[in-house]
Amino acid sequence: MTPAQFEKNIEPRWQKLEKLLTEAEKSKPAVAVEELPATFRQVCHDLSVAQHRMSPQRLTQKLNALAIRAYRVLERRSAGGWEAFVRLFLVQFPQAVRAEWKLFWWCTALFYLPAVLIAVITPAHPEWAMALLGPDSMVQIESMYGESSKPSDYVRENFGSEFAAFCFYIWNNVSIDFKTFAGGVLGGVGSLFVLLFNSIYLGAVFGYVHYSGNPMTLYTWVVAHGAPELTGLVISAMAGLRVGLSVLRPGRLERRAALVLAGRKAMPLLIGAAVLTSLAAVLEGFWSPLDLPPAMKFTAGGVCWLLVAVFLMFSGRRQADAA
Amino acid sequence: MAAPRADTLQSVELADGVEIQLRVAGLTVRSMAYMMDLLIRIGIYIVAAILAFWLLAGVIGPQMTGGLMMLFMFFMEWFYNVIFEAGPRGATPGQRSMKLRVMSLTGGPVTLAQAVMRNFLRVVDFMPGLYLTGIVCMLFTKRFQRVGDLVANTVVTYADPPPVITPNVEVRAERRAPSQVLTREEQAALLQFIERAPLWADERRLELAALAQPLTHAPGVEGLRRLCGMALWLQEPEEKRAAPPPLKGASLFQS
Repeated sequence: MTPAQFEKNIEPRWQKLEKLLTEAEKSKPAVAVEELPATFRQVCHDLSVAQHRMSPQRLTQKLNALAIRAYRVLERRSAGGWEAFVRLFLVQFPQAVRAEWKLFWWCTALFYLPAVLIAVITPAHPEWAMALLGPDSMVQIESMYGESSKPSDYVRENFGSEFAAFCFYIWNNVSIDFKTFAGGVLGGVGSLFVLLFNSIYLGAVFGYVHYSGNPMTLYTWVVAHGAPELTGLVISAMAGLRVGLSVLRPGRLERRAALVLAGRKAMPLLIGAAVLTSLAAVLEGFWSPLDLPPAMKFTAGGVCWLLVAVFLMFSGRRQADAA
Repeated sequence: MAAPRADTLQSVELADGVEIQLRVAGLTVRSMAYMMDLLIRIGIYIVAAILAFWLLAGVIGPQMTGGLMMLFMFFMEWFYNVIFEAGPRGATPGQRSMKLRVMSLTGGPVTLAQAVMRNFLRVVDFMPGLYLTGIVCMLFTKRFQRVGDLVANTVVTYADPPPVITPNVEVRAERRAPSQVLTREEQAALLQFIERAPLWADERRLELAALAQPLTHAPGVEGLRRLCGMALWLQEPEEKRAAPPPLKGASLFQS
């Protein structure tokens, strides 16, 4: 068979595929396209033959482009919508945290231990916290949680300011989660840095308020939203470290493959962390500024911590058994 | 040992067993697509800010408007690329203007998770400024992938096949079998030569034909004539046309 004959032979097939594809690429195909997969395979076969026989470039390029186009149509899938998203958060996310429980506890320890350490030594040696915070932050802390402050100082005047605060927390805190995760790809260094920096800073704030302010104001303010927010930060760092560790210790895989695999594993962690932080923004925007007695605030805060812990420990366990 | 390739084609084997070739896009065109997107985003921000503080602020108050703007900025910053790349076209408006497309390295369309991964890691690619990490990473990977592409397993490719100019030219040379058995690569080179030779100047044809002198055993125009004859023989080994043999002095390529 000469190249010209070959070209003439296969032409009806790729023309048919082209027609089917134009139909299938519409959002609502009017004509039946069941023949698409079979035609696609035939054209794939033609492409292989054309490549092997060194057919003219215009032919192989045309078939190549058609094969890519058809493959995109055949491999097209919808993201699954809200149902998939809810499932990702309620089932896959806690499962992913439990699957990496060692990493989770490492991150938790790395976050809370330095914070507690700084907070505990500050009343005796305030110069550490003062050096960390700097004069501007100290003035700000004095004005927010100073000795004369009361928990009710945080009551905002109207709904608009609460909504604005909520939006700010989403923008700022969820962005920090995403950046913490992204930094992890540098061998985990970025995530570790953000984690430790936030830990030490948080410890310094708490220590400094104990030293020179009214701790009650601070605690009633943060106790509820702290649960999802800090957990979200820890888990986003954990997602980053998951990716970073795959570069450092790829195990039996090739580094590139390990990186891709770790990225897939980190995905539910990242999304879960973002959702937790968004929930924290809701609490911080609308619940925390309410003027309620401290006992009630602490009860609600305790419930929040408990809910987060129970959620991470138990959610999605039954689905794991079923799978 | 094959010589390094001079093009940016990357072979990928599909799940169906066929090998397709992706035309991977390089640094310059991707930068231009990024600049387009940047301009589009700035435009959207300006329009949104004007609309919000002109119209919306009067209705729901400045604080609510400010909050909504912050939410809007958050989504634009993190999800502008994600939504477009995970969409049916697999490209942001800027990428579409440069005829680019984001593809999974498996040849399929980009999933939502892949789009999220490659765009969130822009933070790292941007470091320490002007996408320096991403650029260095692209220069050191053979598929021009930045860090985000590596983790998400994606490549940026040209959306359309390159334009092919097919000259309508008759090559007037006497068909002749090559004097020795040619490998597949050599045959391909000959076939591509005859396909493209009509587009070149005479000097270029002669220059290239001179490289094949070990095969043609003739210099200059005679070598070119023999080379074209062999290519014609490869295209169609058996004589079917009853065309008269070309005259000795006539020009080789005639439209």
